[in-house]
Amino acid sequence: LIRAMRSRFVFALCAVFLILAAASLVFVKNSPASPQDGLPNASAVVKPRAYVSLDPVPRGGQFQVAVVVDIARGFHMNSHKPSDVYLIPTTLTPQLPAGIQLVETIYPEGRSEKFLFSPDKPLNVYTGSVTLRMRLSADANVALGATSLPVTLRYQACNDAACLPPVRVPVQVSLHIAASGAKSHLVHPEVFSTSPANK
Amino acid sequence: MKKLFPFLLLAFVFSLAGTSFSGCSKSKSGASAGNAGTASLENEPEVTFKDLQGNNVQLASFKGKVVLLNFWATWCEPCRTEIPWMIEFQQKYASKGFTMLGVAMDDDGKSVVDPFIHKTQFDVNGHPTTMDYPIVLGTDDIASKLGGLIGLPTSVVISRDGKIVKRYIGLVNHETIDKEIQSLL
Repeated sequence: LIRAMRSRFVFALCAVFLILAAASLVFVKNSPASPQDGLPNASAVVKPRAYVSLDPVPRGGQFQVAVVVDIARGFHMNSHKPSDVYLIPTTLTPQLPAGIQLVETIYPEGRSEKFLFSPDKPLNVYTGSVTLRMRLSADANVALGATSLPVTLRYQACNDAACLPPVRVPVQVSLHIAASGAKSHLVHPEVFSTSPANK
Repeated sequence: MKKLFPFLLLAFVFSLAGTSFSGCSKSKSGASAGNAGTASLENEPEVTFKDLQGNNVQLASFKGKVVLLNFWATWCEPCRTEIPWMIEFQQKYASKGFTMLGVAMDDDGKSVVDPFIHKTQFDVNGHPTTMDYPIVLGTDDIASKLGGLIGLPTSVVISRDGKIVKRYIGLVNHETIDKEIQSLL
C-alpha cells in the first residue's frame, strides 16, 4: 500500500512539474517584446501596396490609386489628423507625371486609442491595415502607354514604449494609359469597394 | 520509483528551464520598457552639441557631474511622459552634482524645439512647469557617438568621470532611473 501511495505521489509531482514547465514556456512565448528587442528599422514597420482602380486608364477620365498600408503588430502610426499639433501626420504625396492631375487625397479616419505611455490622453492613430486613396484624372492629351506614378508615404510610428523617427517610404504605382473611350475594366474591387473613397 | 526517476528528472529540468527563461524575460521588460544596456558603450565620448542659441556645448564640460542625457523629440509621445520626471530629477538633484541634458532630435531643430520648450507645460507633482533643464540639438552623428539611436526616448546615464554607465531605450521607469541617479551621486 505504501509503495502504491509513493508511486502515486511521485506521479502527481511529475505532473505538477510538467504543467509548471509548460505554463512557463507559454508565458515566455506570449510575453510582449520589449522595445529594445522589438524595435525594427522605421521604414520596415509598414508594408505599403499600391493598386490602380482601372486597367487601362482612359485619357480624359478619372481613376483612383489606393495605397494599402499594413502596420506591424504592436505598432501604430499617427493618423492624417493627429490629436496634437506636434505629432507628425501620415501623408501620401504623389509626384505627378505630365498630364495626370490629383483631384483629392482621401485619408481614413484614425482610431482614438490610449497607450501605456499615454493612459489618460487618447491618440488618433492608424493600426493594423489602412487604405489611403487618391482620386486622379488623366488629361485628354496625356502620353499613352505605361506610366509610372511615384508616391511618397510619410509616417511616424511608435509602439507602446518607444517611437521610431519619421520616414518617407517610396511607393511605386504603375498604370497604363489608353485612348479616350477605350474599353477599361474596374480592377481590385476588394480594395476599392471597401474603402471610404467609394462611399 | 526507479522507473519513474528519469521522468521526474526530465520534468524537473523542463520546469527549471521554463522558469529561468521566464525570469529573464521578466527582468528585461520589468522596468516598464526601461531597457538597460551596457554592451558596446563608448566611454568618455567626445561630443559637441549646439544649444538653442547656437553656442557649442561640449559633453566634457559636464565632467564632475552625473548627467542624464535624454534623447527626445517634440513628436515623441512617450518622451512627453518622461519629461516631467526629468524636470523633477533636475530640481531634486541639481544641487548635488547632477544635471539633465535634453537632446532634441527634431529634424526642424530650433524652429520647433524652441516654442515647445517655452510653451508646453508639464505637470510636475501638481505644478505646471516648462522644461527648465539644459536643452541642446542632436544629430545622427552625435547619436552614433553615444551608442546609436534606434528609437525615442533614449536615455544615457553618464557618471561624474564622464563614462557612460547605462543606456535605456524606450520609456524609462521613474523609480529605476531615480535609483540609478542616486547610486551615482
